[in-house]
Amino acid sequence: MLRTPTPTRPKAVEDLIDGSLISKLGPLDLTSRKVFFGKLKGERRSKKRGESVEFADHRAYVSGDDLRHIDWNIFARLDSLFMKLFLEEEDLSLHIVIDASASADCGEPSKFLFMQKAAMALGYVGLVNLNRVAASVMGGIGPNHIRDLRGRRRTHDLARFICSIEPSGSFSFKESAERIVMSRRGKGVMLVFSDYFFKEGFEQGLRLLVGRGYDVFVVQVLSPQEIDPPLTGDLRLKDVEDGDLAEITVAAPLLKRYKANLAAYCATLQNFCARREMNFLTVRSDTPIDVLVLDYLRKRGVVR
Amino acid sequence: MNWITPMVGIIAAAVAVPTLVVLYFLKLRRRDLEVSSTFLWKKAIQDLQANAPFQKLRRNILLFLQLLILGGVCLALAQPQIKGQTITGNRHVILLDRSGSMTAVDGQDSGSPQPRLETAKKQAIAFVESLRDGGVLSGREASDEAMVISFDTAAEVRQQFTSDKALLKAAIEAITPTEGPTRLEEAIRLANAHKPKRVIEGNTIEGLTAGLPTNLHLYSDGRIPDAIKAKPAPEDSLEYHRIGRPESANIGIVGMRAAREYDNPAKLGVYVSLENNRPEARPVDVELLIDGTSAMIKGTTVAGASEEGPRLSAAGAARAGAEEADAVSTTGTESAAMPPRTLRPGVGGVVFQLELSQGARVQVRLRQPGTGQPLENDVFALDDRAFLVVPPAKKIAVVVFSDESNSFLDIALSGQPLSRLVKVATDEFDDWVRLGKLGEFDVIVLENWLPPPGKDGRQADLPPGSYLILGQVPGGSLGLKVTGQVRGTGIVDWLRDHPVLRSVSLDRLRLFESPRVEFEPGSGAIALAVSQEGPALIEASSLGVHALIVPFNIDKSSWPVDVSFVVFMSSAIQYLGEDVGAGSTIRDVQPGQVLSDRLPIGAEQITLKLPTGETQRLTPAADGRVTFGPLVSTGIYELSWVGPAGPTDRKDGNTASRGYAANLSDPFESNIGAVEVIETGSRVASASASSSSVADKRLWPYLLLAALAIIMIEWFVYNRKVYI
Repeated sequence: MLRTPTPTRPKAVEDLIDGSLISKLGPLDLTSRKVFFGKLKGERRSKKRGESVEFADHRAYVSGDDLRHIDWNIFARLDSLFMKLFLEEEDLSLHIVIDASASADCGEPSKFLFMQKAAMALGYVGLVNLNRVAASVMGGIGPNHIRDLRGRRRTHDLARFICSIEPSGSFSFKESAERIVMSRRGKGVMLVFSDYFFKEGFEQGLRLLVGRGYDVFVVQVLSPQEIDPPLTGDLRLKDVEDGDLAEITVAAPLLKRYKANLAAYCATLQNFCARREMNFLTVRSDTPIDVLVLDYLRKRGVVR
Repeated sequence: MNWITPMVGIIAAAVAVPTLVVLYFLKLRRRDLEVSSTFLWKKAIQDLQANAPFQKLRRNILLFLQLLILGGVCLALAQPQIKGQTITGNRHVILLDRSGSMTAVDGQDSGSPQPRLETAKKQAIAFVESLRDGGVLSGREASDEAMVISFDTAAEVRQQFTSDKALLKAAIEAITPTEGPTRLEEAIRLANAHKPKRVIEGNTIEGLTAGLPTNLHLYSDGRIPDAIKAKPAPEDSLEYHRIGRPESANIGIVGMRAAREYDNPAKLGVYVSLENNRPEARPVDVELLIDGTSAMIKGTTVAGASEEGPRLSAAGAARAGAEEADAVSTTGTESAAMPPRTLRPGVGGVVFQLELSQGARVQVRLRQPGTGQPLENDVFALDDRAFLVVPPAKKIAVVVFSDESNSFLDIALSGQPLSRLVKVATDEFDDWVRLGKLGEFDVIVLENWLPPPGKDGRQADLPPGSYLILGQVPGGSLGLKVTGQVRGTGIVDWLRDHPVLRSVSLDRLRLFESPRVEFEPGSGAIALAVSQEGPALIEASSLGVHALIVPFNIDKSSWPVDVSFVVFMSSAIQYLGEDVGAGSTIRDVQPGQVLSDRLPIGAEQITLKLPTGETQRLTPAADGRVTFGPLVSTGIYELSWVGPAGPTDRKDGNTASRGYAANLSDPFESNIGAVEVIETGSRVASASASSSSVADKRLWPYLLLAALAIIMIEWFVYNRKVYI
């Protein structure tokens, strides 16, 4: 909730992801409830019949088919030519979106640092499994996207990009979503990390993101202070993004109402996501990354 | 609904409400904190316009409760009241003396000196405060009613019976002192007149009063010469609140007169009589001022007051005896211990002799011996000065309107020491009046002739002046009428003390033919001599006209051959001439009286300059009469006009002026010590607890103020606590 006085900024990949986490993430791969067509042959089963080793179906031979795929065993038994159809294995596009507004840089531990680490961990999982990984930033200072990363050796590129983001100011969620939608290629999994405290509302932005058939994971990151405000006395609260003031006198009824409002807000967000086939997850910024990835995201089928 | 003390409420609200709100804002001095988003907080406090002050106030029920309490308290402090039916309780009449003696500065037995009237007003207001209100909540209890009458020579109702204390207090506050003497009788009559009349079978019975007895409260120093004439109704009670101290010292001028010497009119004598009301003889300087500049100072010692003989009524004597007995056994205050004794003031006088031929405004004032400063140890400043208007010195000028030649009258007048003696034919009278020439003469003699009556047959009033009228009886406003002729009468009686008849014997006077004269009701005429058939010599005066009337024709009497005729003529001319000459009694007025005089015909643009320096425009009546009054203060009143001047008037170019001296000149007022016992016609009232009046003082306003303070403190403490 409160602005982090001296935020720690990761400098390199080691700051984002450590050895023990790498070893835990090693066996994981990304999944999607939807199966998408990829661009390159990858390690993902595609709806397309293709050339992987996994058998899918048979069909009658027609002239011009590749003779290498004729099932000679069937021909021997039935004396007819059947083609052996295999599932095509393709790569998966993973798009990670990070909120780099000033509000994300609040909380203890910092929500932004948490988002950076989570993005790195998931990006790493994507890269090592030969998925196409892209990352975008909403708001903030620095490059706002990187894409078409593939393979373990691009880990450092991803880490460099994530470390280069400096959170600042505010942004319009809708406009950022439009920009991301226009620039993304293909289809795949999209993880959107933010606190979702948008005064303009989250609905339009999320609608844009989910529109093109992406499997969108909405990850709402809240600091522990936002969930349980440690405030007392008469305060003038200043919004770090737009400087808006709210004068409050902290009392039990007010806190109660704040918590109720927060719960209601999260519930609204969750309902919105559920209605549009988006996965939704609220995490505290003090959650360990391995718990997030290995437990929460695995339960929700982001990784397996 | 009206408010008794609206200002108190407004001031309290003006102080308390902003303070409370400011304290509320003090509480709002908040700690600044940056947060990721105010979004949910705003939602939580539902405070979309947090910067608008009244939005901030909106939800603070505590503040609202406090404002409500505060509003109630402030309204209560303004003491609202509504008109409603009340049942009359006791009835009180507050009689407040505002005469000259009430300006004496001796205050009360305790406390710093202040004018007696102020003390009286304070006590009266305290009494009003103590009047019983109806029950606050029941509204069925009787509330007291009171009435306010102020009096000096005349009484005035300042406030009718009411239970509205604000009205009563305002009426008392509005009373200002006058510098006149005191008359109680009219005030008591006025109080009786305002009592409700008794109604029997629907008819109001005059003279009988109904209702509860009235309590008369007399706030006075008791210097009331006519107290014995005042008759409070038998059922009423009279409570005398003594104002001022009995032992207050005063030396005052009780009389002043100026006279010119008979053979040398340029020599003016000014006679001043003084009185001292304390037993100790006191020296005093008397300063004479002519037209405002000091002309002479004479020192004198005024004898001390002496014990008077037994002048007490039986009741008063009994009371005095009882109090004397009490005084032996108890050592009370001085006033309680002293029996009411009456001191006769010590008398002194000063005579100034000076050469002064022209007219002058003479002022005499008392000074502390040797210092020229106002008198010390003298509580009453009003009678330390006196004024006189002295007309210019001159021998008397006489004009005779007669158609007869070589009469006895001519012979009698020719031997007089007159400055002018003019004989004019009667048909020139109208021309003389028109030209204003009459004013040049001091005495106008009309011999066997009167101005003819007007067209309506009524005798017109004579032009202003002093007249000796022989052989005719003027009608008009002098109030005389002739009812027939009588023959062969003699003089039965005459006023031997009158200046005109002082050395005259009318025993041998025979009237062969004489009109029978009657006085009309209300006439101010007096018969100087009376025959068997009625008045034979008459003195009459009406505004501006002063006449000695000899109704019979002297030729038809034995008078011309009697020595008394010449003596009478001499005295009459002197008397009438002095009237406007050196005596100047006619232009003395007393505060409380009405100044009324006739100016010469043709006077215009008449202004009256008051002693205070203000001027008043006066409009004359058709006959030149002007009135002003009743007079309030002592001093010289100067009437000036454009037009012809009378014989004694000052003339400056086209403008003439005439002075009038208003003096207190009342030994009763000057004897300043407050009186312990007042004896009215029907009862004797002795001074009640005089020094401090006991009155109910309501405490709830103070409790309300305390409540107000407690609320403020509570709020302050609360804020301190919350703020940490």
